[in-house]
Amino acid sequence: MFVNRWAGLLLCWPLAGVADESALSQVMQALAAVPAVETAFREEKTLAVLDAPLVATGVLYYRAPDFLRKRTLHPHPEDYEADGHWLTVETPEAGRRQFNLNGYPQLRPFVEAIRATQAGDQAALARYYQLEFQGTPADWSLRLTPRDADAQRYVAAIVLRGRNGRIDSMETLEPDGDRSLMTITPR
Amino acid sequence: MFRWPVPLLWLLAALGCGWIVLTTPVAADLALFASRADPVAELLLEQLRSGPTTRLILLGLAGDTEPERAAVSQRLVERLRDNREFARVANGADALPEAELQALFAYRYRLSPTVAPERFTVDGLRSGLQQRLVELQSPLAVFQKRWLAGDPTGELLTLLKQWQGGLREPAKRLGVWFAPDGERALLLVETRTSGYDLAAQRHAVTTIRAAFATASAGTGVRLEMSGPGVLATLAADTIRAQAEFLSTLALAAVVLILLLVYRSARTVWLGALPMLSALLAGAAAVDLLFGKMYLITLAFSMTLLGETLDYPTYLFSHRRAAETVTDTVRQLWPTLRLCVATTMLGCLAMLDPDFAGLSQLGVFTVAGIAAAVATTRWLLPALLPPHWAPPQPTAIGPWADAALRPRPRLALALGGCGLLALLLLIARTPTLWENDLAALSPVPRELLRLDQDLRTALGAPEVGHLIAVTAPDAETALRHSEAIAADLEDRKRAGLLAGYDGAMRYLPSAQTQQQRLASLPDPATLSANLNAALEGLPFKPGLFAPFLDAVAAARTAPPLRPEDLRGTLLGTRVNALLFPGERGWTALLPLSGVQDARALATGLPQHQASRAYYLDLRAETNRLVADFRDATLVRIAWGAALILAVVWLGLRSWRRVVAALLPVGLALVFTVAALLALGERLSLFHLVALLLVLGVGVDYGLFFSRPGADPDSRRRTLHALLVCCGSALTVFGMLSLSALPALRAIGLTVSLGVAASFVAALIAARPLLTKMS
Repeated sequence: MFVNRWAGLLLCWPLAGVADESALSQVMQALAAVPAVETAFREEKTLAVLDAPLVATGVLYYRAPDFLRKRTLHPHPEDYEADGHWLTVETPEAGRRQFNLNGYPQLRPFVEAIRATQAGDQAALARYYQLEFQGTPADWSLRLTPRDADAQRYVAAIVLRGRNGRIDSMETLEPDGDRSLMTITPR
Repeated sequence: MFRWPVPLLWLLAALGCGWIVLTTPVAADLALFASRADPVAELLLEQLRSGPTTRLILLGLAGDTEPERAAVSQRLVERLRDNREFARVANGADALPEAELQALFAYRYRLSPTVAPERFTVDGLRSGLQQRLVELQSPLAVFQKRWLAGDPTGELLTLLKQWQGGLREPAKRLGVWFAPDGERALLLVETRTSGYDLAAQRHAVTTIRAAFATASAGTGVRLEMSGPGVLATLAADTIRAQAEFLSTLALAAVVLILLLVYRSARTVWLGALPMLSALLAGAAAVDLLFGKMYLITLAFSMTLLGETLDYPTYLFSHRRAAETVTDTVRQLWPTLRLCVATTMLGCLAMLDPDFAGLSQLGVFTVAGIAAAVATTRWLLPALLPPHWAPPQPTAIGPWADAALRPRPRLALALGGCGLLALLLLIARTPTLWENDLAALSPVPRELLRLDQDLRTALGAPEVGHLIAVTAPDAETALRHSEAIAADLEDRKRAGLLAGYDGAMRYLPSAQTQQQRLASLPDPATLSANLNAALEGLPFKPGLFAPFLDAVAAARTAPPLRPEDLRGTLLGTRVNALLFPGERGWTALLPLSGVQDARALATGLPQHQASRAYYLDLRAETNRLVADFRDATLVRIAWGAALILAVVWLGLRSWRRVVAALLPVGLALVFTVAALLALGERLSLFHLVALLLVLGVGVDYGLFFSRPGADPDSRRRTLHALLVCCGSALTVFGMLSLSALPALRAIGLTVSLGVAASFVAALIAARPLLTKMS
């Protein structure tokens, strides 16, 4: 049994990369086929400076190819909207502010991690991250490691998990050990 | 042998003058225009000379693709950033380096305007902590959380907002500044030297070009450059190139005319001696009396000295083989003396202790004319062989007599036209003058437009409206600035202006800093307040120890002074807006989007020890120029009265005075009328040119109305004046073809004026005289 498992792994090893490639593109195709998404999210941030995790809930909207809105409803309302090159941030205190994403290169990877994934845009993802795919199209996980040294100062990796054309969660790991897990459930 | 002392004396004098001239600095600035009795003018000139706005160089990168433009922008900044020539090199990326962030963080309790007692109470701390929690929840928290433990009240954030909000920041693409349409990447460079230190600016421009050449190698990106210094360098270069080209051409033409007329190489170099003496003597006199010379005085004076070119011509044309050179000079002397006396008195009227430039112009011309006439009177006879005469011009017979025949009706018609033209001028007086200095700028219009485009896109402060505070020391200047800022804040709300900047935004007065530090509670109170505020919040215990330490340290920290910030970006920004001068300190508050300058200028808060001035640079500059022009006009009127008096003293007959001076009066009226008909508006340059016309025209009138001249002598006078007028027309006609407004103005005015003077003197002088006899 033990020997068999190893033998199987050894046999499969040369094929593993190929299998990943095709599985990744299958997942990307499935994601790209989704025209619009509306889901609820729950985000749990575990920070070294805090005793207890910070929990926030809200709604995620996506419309192909490049509209993404993360609307936090609780505990503190906050609205992030990425549309093309524009990022709009709205909070009750500061009001509405617009940024051109090209002007804030450090923000771009954060937006693309979820937006380009949901859009199935592997090329855009690969511009900012090294991709590591695991699993099968039916139950996959995609680990994104920033290519840019500046981005690496803030993000160690982002791990997305999902099933076919659906993203179930996104976990952000920061270099200092802080992390944030966003789980996504259909509404 | 008796001939030699004069040339020897001349040579010694020339060498002496040359030495004085070579050892005295020449200044290139606008101080010429300023009255010494005007404090606003002084501030303004200081601004124009060395103000922060003059030190900006605006760069645009156009062509190729957007990513290429952004990449070149980044490479260019990296190349220029460490250069000592530049105080600031910015393209929007990485607005504050790590070291500067750390400095702001270290100074936060002294610099942040939100530091106040209520911020450190239990409630104040609690609301700060809650705000931090909200920020931690945001996706942007990763950028901010490292400051949390030391700064729970968020002072650094306030400071960063302050830092960025000083000036409207341009939009960014790919991390660097871009014009709104994305066609140009934008950069801002600030030199350490004044924009009007032309040598330094030229060096800066060269450095930037070289850096750009390496940064853009292999791309199709083009560099566009503007800014006061760049434009000034460009203007100086253009003027120099054009003036050199045109004067070489004119010199060649004049040499050719002299050679053709007198058929003698000797006349060429002898003819140049009076002008040369005039320049040397004039420059030396100015240097001795004033210690320095303004470039613009030199240019104007050289124009005025154009008259001295005529003196040798009078001598050459009146030479007869039958008499000695000295005899000829003696015969001409009464008239020549009067010519010189009129010009010198006209210029003497320019001496005005309030206007350095005007006085320099007067001194230069008086000394120059005196030297030129002395050269003609004593040096030329000593250098010419006693019986030298130019080959007799063969054609000077019949046509000259025909031209010289008095035509009273024509003269009357001329007078009538003159009267009409004068009435027209009086009717047009309000629109006669060009008060806008910019209209005289030698910089091509498309470059001025580029400058405007880059300035708008970069949100760079316009060389426009600002408030200047003069104070005995930096602290007083800062306190006064703070009072003004509070006032401006109200006016901003009222919509009178869009924004303002100033040193007090970045470095509060020591008084304000101390007030802030005094609002920090003692360690025990702060610790107790913090613990109460943390109740029920999820922060880890002991997390805020760095905060408690920082506040405790800040309470005994001394206030920051301008000199403490030396070498930092913060210091650079403060230094540009607050600097020591000859009489204490000046603080500047540049304003943007001014809606109502008048309302802003009235009711500026004033203090006992310091004064605040509202400066509308453009309006003030134009006002200075207009004031200067009015002063010149009054002086010219005095000069005219003196000329009248001296001519009467010389001629002792009102009719002869009228015969000598009426033609030039007519000529001036015609010249101004013709200029207006050509669509010109009169500027300073026209005015100076008119002064030359006055000097030359009086000479023409005096020579044409010379008493007791026989027909042969009259022919020679006509010959001499034709040569004078012809050379003047050649030289100044060439200037009038220049595309540069200043050269064109001078050239056009003198050409028209000399021609009009000649015609008027020829037609009017004789009839006025014959009627008398």
